[in-house]
Amino acid sequence: MGADARPQFRMTHGRQVEYGLGVYSGKLGMWVFLCSEVMFFTALIGAYIILRWGSSQAWPDPTKVLNISLTAFNTFLLICSSVSMVKAYAAVSHGDQRGLRLWLLATVAGGAAFVGVQVYEYLHLIHAGVLPSGFREGGEIMEALTRAGLPTGGHELFGAAFFTMTGFHGFHVSCGVLCMIWVTVKAFRGHYTQAHHEGIEVIGLYWHFVDLVWIILFTIVYLF
Amino acid sequence: MTTVEKKHPPYMLVWLWLAALTIIEVWAAQAGLTRRILIPILILLAVWKAALVAIYFMHLKFEPRRFLLVVLAPLPLAVILVVAVLQEWGK
Amino acid sequence: MTASTPTAHGPAGHADHHAEPSFLRKYVFSTDHKVIAIQFLFYSLFFLLVGGALAMLIRWQLGFPGQPMPGAGVLGDDAAPGGVIAPKFYIGLVTMHATYMIFFAVMPLLVGTFANYLIPLKIGAPDMAFPRLNMWSFWLMIPAGVLALAGLVVEGGSAAAGWTAYAPLANSPDYTGVTGGQVLWCLSIAVFAASSLLGSVNYITTIINMRAPGMVWFRLPLSVWALFITAILAILAVPILAGAVIMLLFDQILHTHFYLPAVGGQPLLWQHLFWFFGHPEVYILILPAMGIVSEIIANGSRKPIFGYHTMVYAICGIAFLGWMVWGHHMFQSGMNPILGTSFMVSTVLIAVPTAIKVFNWMGTMWRGRLWLHTPMLNAIAFVAMFVIGGLSGIFMASTPVDMYIHDTYFIVAHIHYVLFGGSLFAIFAGIYFWFPKMFGRMMNERLGKLHFWTTFVAYNATFFPMHLLGIAGHMRRIYDPNAYQFLQPLQPLNTFISVSAFALFAAQLPFIVNFFWSLFRGRPAGMNPWRDNGLEWTVPSPPPHGNFAHTPRVLHGPYEFSHPDTVEDFLPQDQPLPARPGA
Repeated sequence: MGADARPQFRMTHGRQVEYGLGVYSGKLGMWVFLCSEVMFFTALIGAYIILRWGSSQAWPDPTKVLNISLTAFNTFLLICSSVSMVKAYAAVSHGDQRGLRLWLLATVAGGAAFVGVQVYEYLHLIHAGVLPSGFREGGEIMEALTRAGLPTGGHELFGAAFFTMTGFHGFHVSCGVLCMIWVTVKAFRGHYTQAHHEGIEVIGLYWHFVDLVWIILFTIVYLF
Repeated sequence: MTTVEKKHPPYMLVWLWLAALTIIEVWAAQAGLTRRILIPILILLAVWKAALVAIYFMHLKFEPRRFLLVVLAPLPLAVILVVAVLQEWGK
Repeated sequence: MTASTPTAHGPAGHADHHAEPSFLRKYVFSTDHKVIAIQFLFYSLFFLLVGGALAMLIRWQLGFPGQPMPGAGVLGDDAAPGGVIAPKFYIGLVTMHATYMIFFAVMPLLVGTFANYLIPLKIGAPDMAFPRLNMWSFWLMIPAGVLALAGLVVEGGSAAAGWTAYAPLANSPDYTGVTGGQVLWCLSIAVFAASSLLGSVNYITTIINMRAPGMVWFRLPLSVWALFITAILAILAVPILAGAVIMLLFDQILHTHFYLPAVGGQPLLWQHLFWFFGHPEVYILILPAMGIVSEIIANGSRKPIFGYHTMVYAICGIAFLGWMVWGHHMFQSGMNPILGTSFMVSTVLIAVPTAIKVFNWMGTMWRGRLWLHTPMLNAIAFVAMFVIGGLSGIFMASTPVDMYIHDTYFIVAHIHYVLFGGSLFAIFAGIYFWFPKMFGRMMNERLGKLHFWTTFVAYNATFFPMHLLGIAGHMRRIYDPNAYQFLQPLQPLNTFISVSAFALFAAQLPFIVNFFWSLFRGRPAGMNPWRDNGLEWTVPSPPPHGNFAHTPRVLHGPYEFSHPDTVEDFLPQDQPLPARPGA
């Protein structure tokens, strides 16, 4: 499959153009946007890595502060919604309108549930005294760690990084859910056909990306 | 699955892999391994899962080779930034 | 995204079978890249004026320290009690001058105006890949600009930590005395970042996917190559700024401590993140200028650009190396010396592709039949001034030398030689060159030359002496140099610089007059007043919606000037090369 096999031109909107990378504009544009999102999360996650591993203090063990089981389940939920997204895409590329609609609804449900669990987790943590400014003195978590003789150094930075990283990820998921609702409405109106369903693929890419970031975030924030 | 113009990757199989890898990750984190062993394992598992999502769900396996250049461009930059700045606090 | 109707539109665009759009749709909420470009043009020129006005206030204080400024009454008693500029207002001026110039003037001019205007036209496309996203990219600049200007009028004054907003200075009102202003600064930068990203997605996708048949990569004009590489730099660098600024904002309003050392935050983290963005940023500010200059120098020399392929590789080389030099802004931060050395080496290396470009511009002009129109004068000035700016950069690249000149006026001289001597002269060149295409009218050549020469002289008188100030140890951003005994003998030089700066500001008047007068009364331009080869000169001035009646077929590169076998001394890209006689 050498370069010679590549055609010289493509057709787009009734016009002939140079072949380019052989990827239609919507998909190319979304991938370029996702590259910028990689850099954005690099800044946030990189800051966390740098603050934590550059710190001389012993940071709190995330497994003692955060609810690992709940978040592991949430991770699984998001992965499932990624699967339902890809099933929706497979359905419409086979001309299965019913499958498209059902799988899109499942994706919306999975995404909304993920956000819901995150909100619940945030409320619980804040109640237990974990804030962006650090662990509150006299709060449940701070007390538990101190009583067990576990390290609490750097807790201010832990709180700051935790809420910023997961918060922006959650914001991206929420925007994704809103867009997904809009796409689902269009799907119910018969907007996407077997011949033209670029919109499904493009929003799918965003959705999978959000899942991918979470896979990295979950590991770095919750498990290390 | 019936044969169509486009060949679809085994989505359900990938899903099972992702679920399995997640379970292994969570178990490893709570198994009390020393950090020296734990951290490389977790990184490996996370990268493996991310790669599965990118290659199969995001269809990178089926895109033109040149297109991968676009997708992979930010990664070396991310590594350079984090590694270089970590030198400041040489450990 | 996908249109509701799957029918293909004709190559002339869709204006012909829709009803005539309303005034609002056509000129305000337009998705036409040419209208959006012109919106960016007016927006940026406004901020250029505001940034310049702030510079006049800065120069008043430095040239005539402690003296009441005429007309300063309007600034109010907080900023200028008794007409004398106050220290806190001064540092706010220095901060906002740079912020407006970099983010709201030069970037929107180079990347908003010229990228938007030139890319579709020069590649033979009817518009950008995502016209509605393009419109959003402009309209996001409105709240960004309002947030940026708001700092000037809020309680406590504008942001006052320098445009580089170093932590922990920028984090806390305890250090700057500024509350709302600093938060507004962060918000305006965040919104700006969103606008920049939307634009860059468009430019990259359009250039990859919408080139007319025959417009292969190595037939692209250098301005398009430069804008393409710039957009890639922006896509990868601006999000880092966004992340860093968001963490700064959270430090300010959510009581986080990312950059505050008291509980383990790292001020150096801000510096690294900021400059990891900041260095590619300066290439974003110069590469489009270099692209514009390449077009105009080839045109004004009536010769092909010397070493076209090398010019492309040099642009790529500069962009690539630019990711690995950011530490040279931080030599004095106390960073690991081995890290510092590696930054020094990579910084010195970057001079190589840059120098190649300078030699190639000179090679283009060598033995050309020079047509010294106003754009050409500005482009030649760019080359000379940018060389000076680049040479001062070599001094700064060397860590031991930088130890002495860091944070002095030597740096300020360098910045202004590359950004004014470089980017701004290129911007002027580009405006004079493409104004006829944008508005269908020529700008006045005499006023243009008057503007050029007065600007050139006043500009050098203003900024060259700053090298000397810097070597003498004059720090940057300081309010009153006379507080230091060793700087007192430099006051006459400071006064000279200030007077030159006032003359420089006044020298822009012919440009403003020329611009607006020509909009209404300029001589009609015709299709190709500069006898140039780009595809934009093959359509009417201004081009219709949809640009090209028929998709052009590109037959050769864009620099076929003075071809031995053509009648004219230029050959547009869609005209065939003459068959060689006797072939």
